[in-house]
This record gives sequence, structure tokens and C-alpha cells, in this order.
Amino acid sequence: MLTLSGAVTTVTILLIVVFLFREGLGLFRSPAVEKGYALCVNAANPVVRLNPGQIKQIFDYEIVNWTELGGTDRAIELFRFDDIFSRYSEEELGAENDYDQLPDKLGEVVAASPGIIAFLPEEYLPHHLEGIRILRNEHITAGDFFGGREWIPTATPAPQYGTLPLLLGTLWVSIVAILIALPLGLSVAIYLSELANERTRKLLKPAIELLAGIPSVVYGFFGLVVLVPLVQKAFGLPVGETGFTGSVILAIMALPTIITVAEDAMRNTPRAMREASLALGATHWQTIYKVIVPYAKSGISAAVVLGIGRAIGETMAVLMVTGNAAVIPKTLFAPLRTIPATIAAELGEAPSGGAHYQALFMLGCILFLITLVINITAEAISKRQHNKGL
Amino acid sequence: MIQAKNIDFYYDDFHALKGISMEMAANTVTAFIGPSGCGKSTFLRLFNRMNDLIPGTRLTGECLVEEKDIYTRGVNVDELRKQVGMVFQKPNPFPKSIFENVAYGLRVNGVDDRKFIEQRVKESLVGAALWDEVKDKLKKSAFELSGGQQQRLCIARALAIKPSVLLMDEPASALDPISTSKIEELIHELKKEYTIVIVTHNMQQAARVSDKTGFFMLGELVEFSDTKKMFLNPDKEQTQNYITGRFG
Repeated sequence: MLTLSGAVTTVTILLIVVFLFREGLGLFRSPAVEKGYALCVNAANPVVRLNPGQIKQIFDYEIVNWTELGGTDRAIELFRFDDIFSRYSEEELGAENDYDQLPDKLGEVVAASPGIIAFLPEEYLPHHLEGIRILRNEHITAGDFFGGREWIPTATPAPQYGTLPLLLGTLWVSIVAILIALPLGLSVAIYLSELANERTRKLLKPAIELLAGIPSVVYGFFGLVVLVPLVQKAFGLPVGETGFTGSVILAIMALPTIITVAEDAMRNTPRAMREASLALGATHWQTIYKVIVPYAKSGISAAVVLGIGRAIGETMAVLMVTGNAAVIPKTLFAPLRTIPATIAAELGEAPSGGAHYQALFMLGCILFLITLVINITAEAISKRQHNKGL
Repeated sequence: MIQAKNIDFYYDDFHALKGISMEMAANTVTAFIGPSGCGKSTFLRLFNRMNDLIPGTRLTGECLVEEKDIYTRGVNVDELRKQVGMVFQKPNPFPKSIFENVAYGLRVNGVDDRKFIEQRVKESLVGAALWDEVKDKLKKSAFELSGGQQQRLCIARALAIKPSVLLMDEPASALDPISTSKIEELIHELKKEYTIVIVTHNMQQAARVSDKTGFFMLGELVEFSDTKKMFLNPDKEQTQNYITGRFG
């Protein structure tokens, strides 16, 4: 019976992981340019491939000359499908006949202008390819995804799925949260296990454990109503919804876990260990930091890992207080966005099976891998300490 | 020299020690024997104030170590414990290396002269008859030693801060006969420099190692005399009964 339930659990978890990765990896088979559209250039143009980042920069007028893309020195001329209607009349395009002249006219326009790049629906692509070249619709690459500096899934013609802003946002918020929560949590754990008298402990411990059970959306609400204005005023910022606010709320949320686990570990230090230290003339404080804390090291690292896990995976509260700007954070006192918040905010709008949908799953995979690495590291640390007894 | 004068000791309402007075001379071994729960360990732990760690205890009477009352106001307990070392029933080395275990007492006392520490660690390990067995693995974890070695390590750890008194709370009860005899030999050696008080359940051990023996029962000191006399010709019938194994 127990074996069975173990097997069922394992299989379920494996299925989830397989599903996650299957959906996620589909992203790298998706075209970089929006589905059903293609990019055309003049046949004389030597540029043969463009990545999603370059395409976006071209259409944002950030790249204005083909030399920047390895082509000849010529100004880039943007041509969107609608522009055709300003060059030719409805009759010329064969409006009565289902626009049967449209593809040829488009072909003429592109062939006539050596610096042009045209963004066209596939169904109106020119039939005669003389003087024009259709750029191959590349797949989104791992480089675009992991190295991309912009996350704009709605950009046309090429949606931007660069995870760097989200990944950095997640790491920044989590690391700062842990930096706040760890010293605080450990101090409280030491106080509770070593210094507080029995009555205080019996009162505080359940109260702290209760905090761990509060739904994260309530924390988020608290953050929004209390912390956001506070941070805005305290640091004189234009908005209070910043990465730092997210870190603070995460730290508050991670504290109960850190305190409880670390306190338990320290209280589990054998009495003999304390007595041995005190009997050698060590003071109470020396005993705490030379014997009890080192003895509880593996428990404390478990507390750290659980805290980090909570911070990295936390969605709702962070979504509510960080301002949700998917830009690479230059300072912690500006809005940013984390991976879980992105998934929660965008999954509802992403058409199932599309590149955006797959990109969100890929974000889930990244999150999964991060927590996996953290867990393995923690396991390795505690195992090493256990074996050596040092 | 250690003196106890009219000691009464309570755990909350439980009267654990009743009117005990005795004197332990310098450079002697005094053994406490008696059935479990008779108060002998409690009495032993008075002399380095280990009972302070237990909430709800109360003491009346005087405890003197080197002629100073250790329970008066203003006594620095940490300093007292440097003077009165203790070895516990179960070996309790720290989860540190062998070297660091012995050096611990020095380090917490602010000694950081590396040469001095090395020298003292070696002396202490030699003193605890453990040096030859561990000299090549001082950096190894103390947990890699056998139980008997761990107990001698704990003795070395206590010796490193040069106490004048050594309290031993059933130091060999968790050990095999060979380790036990090593500890007993060691006690003989240590007597030259330390005042030793040992609690034991093993009457042969008390007879072998001690100069004087105190027999405790139900919180009272029934008899306290020279070990030889105690085991050959005790004054009290209770003692006689306990020693011959008629109860306890």
C-alpha cells in the first residue's frame, strides 16, 4: 500500500515535469515572426537572417541602416502591409476581384526599393519572386530566450521572449529578501530557543507559526496598503511599487518558516553539548555561537533553503507590490517583475499552444531548475557536514 | 579542597539533598556511591553550579571550593567552572576536530596564541593517555573515535584549562571493561595534580580508585569514611547491606 502510494506520487511528479518541459521546449520550434506573416526584402539585400531582437529594433526605428546588420550602407525603409493602400488605389489592387492584384503590387514595391523591409501576411505574398527575397522565418533560439533583454510577448512583428529581465528580477527580489530575513530570522530563533523564558516561548512560537498559514494574497494586500506607501515616502520615490517592496514582503513571509525550522534545530542540540561547553567555562553566548549554532547548521541550512524556496516561488504577494515592469532592474527601487508573477499575470491571455504560452511554460521550467539546484546544494551541504561531524 | 556545610537542595517541592556536610581534601579521590536517585549526581553538580541550568531549584547551606563560597552573590560562574572541571556520564565531544575539542576551553577563555594552544592540547592529551592514539589524526572529527577514546578526549578537554578540581559523573558507565580500566588508571595518575570527585554505580570501581567514599541514600549522606574501612567494616548496617548487594 505504501509502496503504491509512493509510486503514484513519483509518477505524478515525473508526469508534471515531463509535461512542463514538453510544453516549454516547444517554444524553440516556434517561429520568431508572428504566425501567418513573413518579412520580405529586396533581392539585392545581402542580409539573410534577422533575430527577433533585431526585427524589433528595426520596426522601432532603433536600427535605421542595413550596415548595422552586416548589409550594405543603405537606409532601412519600413513597409507595413497597410502602406500599400496609400500607394495604389482600390481599383489598381483589384478590389472587386478579391484583391487579386495585391500580391503583384506588393512584389513591385519591394523590388523597386533596395533598402526596404516589408512585413506582409503570408496569403498576400508576391507570386513572382523576381527582385525580392522572403526572409526565412527562423525559430526562436535558446539564445533569444535566455539572453534576450526584453520581454514583450505582444510586440509585432516579432514578439520578444527575453527572460533576462524576469530572471534578474526574481533573483534580485529573492536575494534581498533572504538578506533581510536570514539575520532577522536567526536572531529570533536564537532568542526563542536560548534566551526567552518558557512563558514567552509558549506564547510567541504558535503566533509565529500562525503567520506561516496566512494566505499570500493577504500579505500582498497588506503590502499594497501599508508597505507601498511607506516605501514611497521613506525613499522619496515616484512609485512605491518596487523590487525592494517585494523583497520586504517576501522577507516577512519567509520569516515564520526560517524561525520555526531554525529554532527546532537549535533546540534539538543535545543537553550534553550545552553542558559540556558551559562546564568548560564558556559563557552562554559563547556556547550559543560556538556549539549550538554549529551543531544546528544542517537544520539552519534547511531553514535557509525553505526560505529561499518560498521567496523564489512566491507569486501573488510579489505580483501585487513590485509594479510589474518587465525591464532589467537597474536599481532595486524601481518596479520590476519576477518569473512567477509573469506566469500568473500572462497565462490567462496567452493562446493555448502558441509561442507565448510555450514561453510561459519555459519560465516554469527555469523556476523548477532553480529550486532543484538549490535543493541539491542544500542536500550536499548537510550531508557533508553530517558525514564529517565537523 | 572542597567543603559542603549543611546542604539542603530542592527540585521545586522535591527535597533532593538533606543536610549534607562533608570535606574533600586536595589531591584525593572521593567516590560517591548509592542507588539511583539518591542525590549523588545532584550533589556532585553543585560544585560547578551545573544545577543552575535546571529551572526551579533551591539551595541552602554553604558550598566552598578552595575556601570560597561559590553560591554567594558576585561569584562569576564561568570562572568557577574553569576552576572546577567536569566529565559527564556519556562521552560528549563537540562536533569539531579532536584538536579543536581540546582547544575549546582555551579559546573560549580568549587564548589565541597558537603555539601555546598546541602545547597545551598535547599536554592534555598526554595527560588523558590519549596522545599516542590520536597524534596523527588531530584534524579528524572527534566522532571518529571509539566511545572510550571519546571519554578520554572529554577528560583531556577538561584538563586543558587546568582546573584544580575534577568532577566525574559516572565517567565509565557507558564504556567497555578495557576502556573502563584505562579511565581508572588515568584517575590514579590525575590524583597527583587534581582533587577528584567521582560518582559511580560500580562499587568495585569505587573501591579501586578512591581514597574516601560517601554512601548516599534518599538524599542523605549515610556514611562517609576511608574507602578501605567502608568496604571492609562499615559503621552502618544500611551501608553493609548496599555494599554486599542485599539491595540497591
